[in-house]
Amino acid sequence: MKRALSEEKLDSLISYILIFGVLVSVALEALGIAGYYSSNGNLNILFRPSFAMKETDFFSYAGKLFQELSMGGWSPMQVLGLGIVVLMLTPYLRVVASVLYFGLARNPKYLLITLFVLLVLTASLLQL
Amino acid sequence: MGQKVGPESKLIDMLSVLIISIFAGFLGSLTGLGGGSIMIPVLVAFGVPVKYAIAASMVTIIATSSGSAASYVKERITNVKAAFYLEMFTIVGAIIGATITSFIAPRFLYFFFAGFLLTSFLGLSEHLRGEFPKRVKQDRFSKWLELDGSYYDEAAKKKVSYKMKNAHLGGPCMLIAGLAAGMLGIGAGAFKVSIHELILKMPSKVSTTTSNFIIGITALAGASVYFASGLLFVGLAAPMAVGTTVGALVGGRILNRLPNRLVRYLFLVIVVALIVQMLYEGITST
Repeated sequence: MKRALSEEKLDSLISYILIFGVLVSVALEALGIAGYYSSNGNLNILFRPSFAMKETDFFSYAGKLFQELSMGGWSPMQVLGLGIVVLMLTPYLRVVASVLYFGLARNPKYLLITLFVLLVLTASLLQL
Repeated sequence: MGQKVGPESKLIDMLSVLIISIFAGFLGSLTGLGGGSIMIPVLVAFGVPVKYAIAASMVTIIATSSGSAASYVKERITNVKAAFYLEMFTIVGAIIGATITSFIAPRFLYFFFAGFLLTSFLGLSEHLRGEFPKRVKQDRFSKWLELDGSYYDEAAKKKVSYKMKNAHLGGPCMLIAGLAAGMLGIGAGAFKVSIHELILKMPSKVSTTTSNFIIGITALAGASVYFASGLLFVGLAAPMAVGTTVGALVGGRILNRLPNRLVRYLFLVIVVALIVQMLYEGITST
């Protein structure tokens, strides 16, 4: 009973992270598409290398994007990029939250399992 | 057809992608195929290179999976512990799969895609839609992993308690599911559900919701590889994410109002059309 109750907290937390992340991301994408149309007069997708989300790894891209956004501007392409970054961070954050939860709940088995998932994901997002 | 793209080529615009994605998300949700399985062949038919379509679909899947997983997790139907255990295998598979796709000739991807679509028929299997598994004798490893749970089943109007087994087999099988998902930019939901129900003996609702939950993390693992490969175009992924999420939301709401027979016919027509389209692309590509 105690286990079920405490796991209920984790389930609620995960649920809120997922809902919030998807809502913010979809809203940013919709805003970015509208902004793209208003500044270009069309919605063409150009498959040029400069339009690809290319960086050595995900965190480098996100860091560079946050730096650019902090300096102002907020171009439609940057807003679209931010939407994708938020979307990719959503499941990542739910893993981080689970690692913290199992650590606090002193469940070594699932702390190790979630930590493995987190490490593999982090390594892949960093392209190590 | 798929790969001859000059740097200035205009193949399809965001509005068209948005509209197609709403339909793909809607039909994917109704038939259980998922938006990615429908979207990729359609984009390829419009001339979008298959690798670009796969990479964008991989990101899109994070939105549809996370959006629908949220409510099931809160209702405690999803077994979060089983999901974490199985994710260890799917993410490794997805990273390997996406890495293969980054290097492989596109022609092979068409054939792999058409071949893997056949696993969608597993979802039609009657014994996968049966009752709750009875008298499951849990092995020591599954017990050690705490792979059990309970939830309130609205349709049966009762609390369902269950235990899983064969975790030692289910895990490695999920590696294959992750490999296919990462390689083809799809959720591979039908394949995952089959493993959950046939090997791990999950009840049907726990199986589908846990599969949905796992798909998001698996897609993130695959997307991380595509990110670094330069195959991910934000102009393609953004309208796809919005469209499939909206379409899946609407599809999920009207699914219960449609007769089962109609849903099955729709499924058959769509799967056959997608297989034919991908085989055609594979045969005609140079």
